[in-house]
Amino acid sequence: MQDDITLMNRVSIQDESALSLLYDKYSAALYGITLRICKDEMLAQEALQETFLKIWKNPQSYDASKGKFFTWANRIARNTSLNCIRSKKMFIQNTDLSVYEDKEVEEEPQDFLKLNGCLKNLDPHHQKAIELVYFNGLTHKEAHEEMGVPLGTFKSYIKQAVKKLRENYAVSILLSLFFIT
Amino acid sequence: MDKKDIIASGMLEQYLLGELSADQCTIVENILAESQQVRDYYSQMESNFERMAQENAIAPPSQAKEFIMKAVANDTPSKKAHTLSRTKGKISYFTPIAAALAAIFLLSTFWMYYKWQDANEGLVEIEKETIDLRNRITVLEQNNTETQKWYQAINIPNTYQLTLKGNNVLPNSTAITYINHDQKTVILNPQGLPDIGEDKSYQMWADVDGEMINMGVILEDQKMVAMKYIEDAESVNITIEPKGGSDHPTVEFLISSAAI
Repeated sequence: MQDDITLMNRVSIQDESALSLLYDKYSAALYGITLRICKDEMLAQEALQETFLKIWKNPQSYDASKGKFFTWANRIARNTSLNCIRSKKMFIQNTDLSVYEDKEVEEEPQDFLKLNGCLKNLDPHHQKAIELVYFNGLTHKEAHEEMGVPLGTFKSYIKQAVKKLRENYAVSILLSLFFIT
Repeated sequence: MDKKDIIASGMLEQYLLGELSADQCTIVENILAESQQVRDYYSQMESNFERMAQENAIAPPSQAKEFIMKAVANDTPSKKAHTLSRTKGKISYFTPIAAALAAIFLLSTFWMYYKWQDANEGLVEIEKETIDLRNRITVLEQNNTETQKWYQAINIPNTYQLTLKGNNVLPNSTAITYINHDQKTVILNPQGLPDIGEDKSYQMWADVDGEMINMGVILEDQKMVAMKYIEDAESVNITIEPKGGSDHPTVEFLISSAAI
């Protein structure tokens, strides 16, 4: 985290190499999110590029005392992606709908968007809850409607999922420490 | 809301995602500032979320970074200033040369355009003249062919010439006829016949035993006219007739006669 704060300090004095390092470190994780939200490679790339340009132009809006760099960058990426989708929808509404209408219906989930890592160890409904809010850009309110469960139930899904992830990651950290020693 | 409530309520998860309103954010941030326990909990949550995101990372195409770094390079004030100053220097040094070259180019373009237009007009004139000359050649060739034809026709041995001079009705008229009894041809040169108006025609007749037989209407605009050959004709005669000719000669307007 200290590294990220240092890099952001350098970004705030217009150090391009610092932004380049942040990009190398986080672009894939953020692209994984923008792509899952946009479900369109061009839009996702646009959102990713815009995210880093916002970071470059407004580094002062990052407050390290309030959280990690990635949390802040993720919020930017998520909002930017949602805006890109809204712009695309507005564009479609203002143009010939027939060209696009069927395309959305036909869209199949792509293999590379399937979730990996510790998430796969979660129960399916926990996994789904996490996917909707963390990777698909839905709010808790939208996500509980999507899953067809009350908001309270949905929040408990998230809480339980986060707890299990915490346990899984703690175990994996212990295991990695064990193998290192 | 205390630290237990905030963990139980799920607000921290929403805070992490940026879903909360400004007021709710303030509440969460106040509790985070006050409670080390909540801070640790949230920090762990952030780390797990980051790890989860890294586990599900997808490498973006390389051109995405190129685009960003180019945009950033253009946006850097020092570079902007540097680029501007360099550009400014270049402008001040090269502007007069560029302007002069542009002016020369502009003038030469106009000159070339003018020349091109001129050449184009000349070409059109030449084309017109060529067509005119070609037509004249065609006419001359036709005339030549015709002359050759008539020349050959009257130059055959045994062709003899008769001059039909005008009588007192039309004393200034002259017509020349070429007769060949072997070939049975009569050719007339009517160019010596004066104009008698559009409503009248000259007509040629052969006298056979006192009877005038029609040899044809004379076409005045021709240099040479082939007339009908009549056997045993004793003389040839020319009369003035109504336009298109008559079946019988109008004797009062007999203008010329020559014995064969």
